[in-house]
Amino acid sequence: MTLVGEALIDIIYLFSLTIPLIAGILLGYVLREKKHINLGKVTFGTIIVLIFSLGFSIGSNNELLGSMPKIGLNALVILGLVLFFSVVFFKAARKMVKIE
Amino acid sequence: MIKYILAALACGVIAGYLDNNYGNVLFGSFISNFMFSFSLILLLFVMGFAFGLDKEAMAKIRKTGLKILIFPFSVALGSILGGLVAGLILNINVFASMAISAGFGWYTLAGPFVWNFFGAELGMLGFTVNFLRELLTIATISLTAKIDKYAPIALGGATTMDTTLPIIVRYCGSDTLITAFSSGFTLSIIAPFTIIAIATLK
Repeated sequence: MTLVGEALIDIIYLFSLTIPLIAGILLGYVLREKKHINLGKVTFGTIIVLIFSLGFSIGSNNELLGSMPKIGLNALVILGLVLFFSVVFFKAARKMVKIE
Repeated sequence: MIKYILAALACGVIAGYLDNNYGNVLFGSFISNFMFSFSLILLLFVMGFAFGLDKEAMAKIRKTGLKILIFPFSVALGSILGGLVAGLILNINVFASMAISAGFGWYTLAGPFVWNFFGAELGMLGFTVNFLRELLTIATISLTAKIDKYAPIALGGATTMDTTLPIIVRYCGSDTLITAFSSGFTLSIIAPFTIIAIATLK
């Protein structure tokens, strides 16, 4: 398959993930007069299942586990720089629009 | 919450490792493919549903006005620039490091998305960076809130609309609620599109 074709399939797949999000928002909007809907447990359970599956994929990839020490250092370098520039830009923006 | 997430991740890693080395391949691919996609789709649906139900959430966004959008966009620009610089320093694909940074702390999104575009190892890196972002925002809040009242909002990125919101409000004061929520919301909305946009440039 060509690179363009692969990229196109990636994009279609990722945009398809906005469908459940938009469907959820619309359904929630329609049902908003019903007061006793508690989603805390469902959300929590789903997050746990998702994170477990993600962990499973990581654990079943021996090559990936071997590269973990290197990933850890890279992650800290990226995170450090991301947080530094986020705060700097955020502070600059706050000065520009003068919001306290 | 965070300890259950860590426990689930650890159990998943152990179960995956055991299954891969001693277990059934078919069972493993069922969990890593079907269960993973299904729970991601369900989670997106449930989060959308919770947002649609919440009258105050929509009212808050209308109230804040457009001026407040400068905050999430400054965090987005800062994050992506940080990713670019880190990619150059670490000598990894700069588009991957920028895409990783564009998760803005939403690790359940950034992990799978980056994984999908840049492969397993960078996907794992994307998950780790964004996961640590949330963890670090929570762990350091009592310190960062003292340095600057609004700093935790910049640190939290997309997580300031849900997981870190109650903690930010507690440490930084109730007047930061709207800024934090709208910043987290905007970053959550733009995160998938930003990752896709960066990935298409690669």
